[in-house]
Amino acid sequence: MSDLAAFLTPVLITAGINSIIALGLYITMSSGPLSVAHAALAGMGGYLGAVLTTNFGWPFSLAILAGMLLGFVTGLLLGLLIVRMNELVAGLTTLGFGETMAVIAFNIDYIGGANAFSGIPLRTTLPLVYAVLAVILFVAWRYDESRLGYAARATRDSPVTADAMGINITWVKSLTFGIGAAIAALGGVLRAHYILVQGPEDMGFFVSVGFLIFVIFGGSYVFWGPLFGAMTLTILPEVLRFSAKDRFIIYGVLLTIMVILRPQGLITRRSMR
Amino acid sequence: MDLFLQQVLNGVMIGSTYAVVALGFSLVFSVMRVVNMAHPEFFMAGAFGAYVMTRYVTTNVAGVLAGGMLVAAAVGLVVERLAIRPVRGRYVMIPFIATSGVGIALQHLAERVFGSDPVAIPAVVPAASYTFGPVSVTRMQLVTFAIAVVLMLGLRYYVRNTKWGRATRAVAERPEVAAAFGVDVDFVSRLTVGISALMAGAAGVSIGMLYTSAWAFMGLIYGLKSFVCMLVAGNRHVEGVMVVGLMLGVLEALVSGYLTSTLRDAVAFGVLVVVLVFKPNGLFGSYSV
Repeated sequence: MSDLAAFLTPVLITAGINSIIALGLYITMSSGPLSVAHAALAGMGGYLGAVLTTNFGWPFSLAILAGMLLGFVTGLLLGLLIVRMNELVAGLTTLGFGETMAVIAFNIDYIGGANAFSGIPLRTTLPLVYAVLAVILFVAWRYDESRLGYAARATRDSPVTADAMGINITWVKSLTFGIGAAIAALGGVLRAHYILVQGPEDMGFFVSVGFLIFVIFGGSYVFWGPLFGAMTLTILPEVLRFSAKDRFIIYGVLLTIMVILRPQGLITRRSMR
Repeated sequence: MDLFLQQVLNGVMIGSTYAVVALGFSLVFSVMRVVNMAHPEFFMAGAFGAYVMTRYVTTNVAGVLAGGMLVAAAVGLVVERLAIRPVRGRYVMIPFIATSGVGIALQHLAERVFGSDPVAIPAVVPAASYTFGPVSVTRMQLVTFAIAVVLMLGLRYYVRNTKWGRATRAVAERPEVAAAFGVDVDFVSRLTVGISALMAGAAGVSIGMLYTSAWAFMGLIYGLKSFVCMLVAGNRHVEGVMVVGLMLGVLEALVSGYLTSTLRDAVAFGVLVVVLVFKPNGLFGSYSV
């Protein structure tokens, strides 16, 4: 029994953290932009939180808040930057942002450079992750039903119409990007205090694409989608014991098949009624 | 000043390869409105094709080049059939994600087959360098540059002066009208992906020979740079993409020469963000999505 617990605890913690970041990406994507920068945003949160607790002895809760604030401000600015671009260019710009952040982290010696920032204290526990996940799920649920949520979906479905209806597109897009980025950064702080190292490779393209797959596989139209996607795609490969390399081959094929056959994702608004 | 000239020369040499990769990518986008995220993997397939050729078949430069290009074209046609044809003409993000998936699968498949570490490609061009006044250039750099120039001129000739090239431009401009005038749009699409894969494959062989290695994840950074070239130049004119490719190479070489080579890969994205904020359609104009 304890063997099973020892096997399941890390899997469940990873699944919980992935779900949190995927929900952040979900909120960002609810207003339209396809973000390939959320791994970088989570990584920035992780770096800041880790530096604050390790080098400055801040309490964990304050480090989380600082990480979320950094994520929010960065996300807000990124949202403002891409608001006038078409979705494709916006997607590639977030990709460029993510890769640039990884290159910068790689070159700052203070945070470990290529060797990653290590010596982070263990603060993240299983109950904590799931308590946070519950809060984020509540936020995502209320967000879906909120004025902002409706405005975001209207912006995604037709920016011109939304604008004509009096929705401030610039504000909606950058605010949802900021909120989503703050949640991703929160996930990043939790992850850094669980795996105890924070390296530049956690910020790169593949990690971001992993989160994107969680959302697209599960469905990006209702908040159960990313939760389902992140949980399934994190836990199943562990239970089935795929190696990390095989997992990406399957991820890639799965992503292609999903988007060809069911671009709306497995869980849609209609299937929740 | 000597350093400046030397770095400009190095930049032009490497930039010509960026331009070749970017041209194929931009050609596929303008003809099919498909952002082919698997394009960098054609490049990677070319480099591994060169590796397999040198290891098992021949070390003749022409043979290695032909082998790499054919491997890349084969991969390209399979990807076209499985992931591009089913989603062509759909909303632009759908092919973007579908081909991203294929690209990720191909990278990890290559990692599975050839291992996680780069494999060494033996030198197929005898090492030699030539000095012209203050600057010097290696024979390998010249071969790379020559391959790129031939491909660029060839593509320009094909697009401007041949029957199929005219058909390609017609499809890029108005697919329905082109079809009404008897152009086989499906065939043109397949041909375009095939040509873009051949070019990416040749660039992969060049880079593989230049750095004497091939790696499962080598495509990503070249792919990102070619996206940057296409977006900065806009995809309406092949010449624009060529110019921006060369300029990016020079800019990167100057950054590595005067600042630090680790910042080299961030240059492209800095340029991208600055240009897109002021000219969202690129410097020379784009087809609309």
